[in-house]
Amino acid sequence: MEKTILVPIDFKVESLNALRLALNTIHAGKVNVVLMYAKYPTDSITEFLFYSPDDVVDSLKTREFDEAIAIIKNRYESLLNRIDIELFYGFGTSALSNFLEAHRVDTVYFSKNYSLSCSKKGFDPIPMLKKTGIGYEEVGGELVQEFVPRPTTLSTLFNYFGLEIANH
Amino acid sequence: MKTQLKIALFLIFTNGLMLLLFGGSIYYFLYNYSYADFYKRLETRATIAAKYNFDADKINAESFKIIRKEHLEKLLAEKEYLYKVEDSNDLTGIAQKSELPLVFLKDIMANGKMTRQVDETFFTGIRHESHGSIYIVVVSAKNYYASNHLLFMRNVILMGIVFIALITTYLSFFFSKRIFDPIKHITDRVKQISTDNIHLRIEEKDNDAEISQLISTFNDLLNRLETAFETQKNFVSNASHEFGTPLTSIMGEAEVMLMKQRSPEEYQQSLVSILGQAERLNQITQTLLYLAETGYTNKRVNFVILRTDDLLWQAKEMIDKLNPKNHIQVDFSLLPENPKKLKVMGNRQLLSLAFTNILTNACKYSNNKPVLVTIASSDEHVFLAITDQGIGIPESELPFIFDPFFRASNTSHFEGYGIGLPLTRNIIKIHGGQLQISSKVNEGTTVQIKLPLAKIP
Repeated sequence: MEKTILVPIDFKVESLNALRLALNTIHAGKVNVVLMYAKYPTDSITEFLFYSPDDVVDSLKTREFDEAIAIIKNRYESLLNRIDIELFYGFGTSALSNFLEAHRVDTVYFSKNYSLSCSKKGFDPIPMLKKTGIGYEEVGGELVQEFVPRPTTLSTLFNYFGLEIANH
Repeated sequence: MKTQLKIALFLIFTNGLMLLLFGGSIYYFLYNYSYADFYKRLETRATIAAKYNFDADKINAESFKIIRKEHLEKLLAEKEYLYKVEDSNDLTGIAQKSELPLVFLKDIMANGKMTRQVDETFFTGIRHESHGSIYIVVVSAKNYYASNHLLFMRNVILMGIVFIALITTYLSFFFSKRIFDPIKHITDRVKQISTDNIHLRIEEKDNDAEISQLISTFNDLLNRLETAFETQKNFVSNASHEFGTPLTSIMGEAEVMLMKQRSPEEYQQSLVSILGQAERLNQITQTLLYLAETGYTNKRVNFVILRTDDLLWQAKEMIDKLNPKNHIQVDFSLLPENPKKLKVMGNRQLLSLAFTNILTNACKYSNNKPVLVTIASSDEHVFLAITDQGIGIPESELPFIFDPFFRASNTSHFEGYGIGLPLTRNIIKIHGGQLQISSKVNEGTTVQIKLPLAKIP
């Protein structure tokens, strides 16, 4: 059975924890993943003129983020069908509902103990996602203390997961 | 030639060329146009003259003349020639009478109209047919416009070109100087920096993106150089200290023993202690040799395909034997499903030495608190993260941890020589990998090893 899940991200390695924890709860079937970054549309007309979603995504993501996605892809090779990064522009809940419908999202997952820290023009879509009435699940245990936080390195992924495992 | 001068000359040359092209083309096209236009005017006059002379009746002819006088200005040295041509032999006669060349008249007869220029006088002739007879009408005049207006314009253009060329020359030199001033400044500043005052830096500017990039690159280079210099200085002092300590204790032991006659047991005891110190010396020398060997990148080591998880277990077993109290936990929760993604090209002895080193350090500096090892792999690299909850490394000392014999200031309670980490780094470097260390004092250290995956088809 194919299933599409959506995970909101902020292009930091930590935000992929939710995806990993979500994939842990799914045991069979094929999963399509939509990683959604919410962004306010730009005011500049020239930016609109030369707008390209790929360029926006490229400018936002880091090499660590790419590597982290690759790690997750390798870890859940048999489970994952595809991982897409999508940009969401818009203000209203209805726009978000349309976005979810267009990507045929079944469930939204987000982390209990990580709040997205978006750069300028980006915003945290979780409150809006909750309002759309789509089925969502919060993953992650009790808040674990951040240990040696180095937000730009991949090791945060390991540390975070590692402690999660150690706490269980 | 200096680049500054080159740029200035290039600017002057290109600008001058463009100016000349611009002025020249204006002059050329206007010159051509003024001639074509003048011939046209002459032709109009010839047509009108033919009309009132041959076509119209007397009354109309008079009014034609009046209209012409009123509306067409008299040209300089304007002259009209009107001839009736009965047959082709007449042309010779006309030519003699009018002093117009025969060829010109023949051309008028053949083509219907013709133009000609003698010095400053212009001729336009037309063939006119009226009431069954053929006439030749020629009008000639001097082109005042061409001779005066064009001359004036040529002078204006020439003066303009000279004036703008002067301004361009000045601006070119000004700009090339302005562009190269910051670079000259950097050169002057870098010249001042030598091995004695390597702490000097070039002050950064915010307004100039390219130049400040260059400056920060220079400063980075200087930082690295400074660290390297310090490392060299530290190496000698650290090495002499490391070698000195066992030697001093050997000498002291021997001196005490030689002070008086001792019992064989005492000699034996002291020889054992001397042997222990000598062994320590030997160990340091061996590791140093290893370090030097791995430091040469041109020396190729035998590489085979290895599984990283396998190596990790091997290292863990080794440590279990040496230090049974360790708490190493291996986290396989990010292990890729495809075992191919764990294979690297490497030398088994070297890599397992590197892993053992890192794991031993993690256990040692955390007093056997839990050490977590995570293994993961992306499409290009295998990642190993070793996290301990030990004493950490002070942030100011992080740049020096890869220097041989360097030991962080908070490690005095732990035994070690400070060669393990540089050796490990060299080994990882040989394998084309990266070693990243992040740490916080009293919280712990994370070592991340990144090794490129073997390319297995």
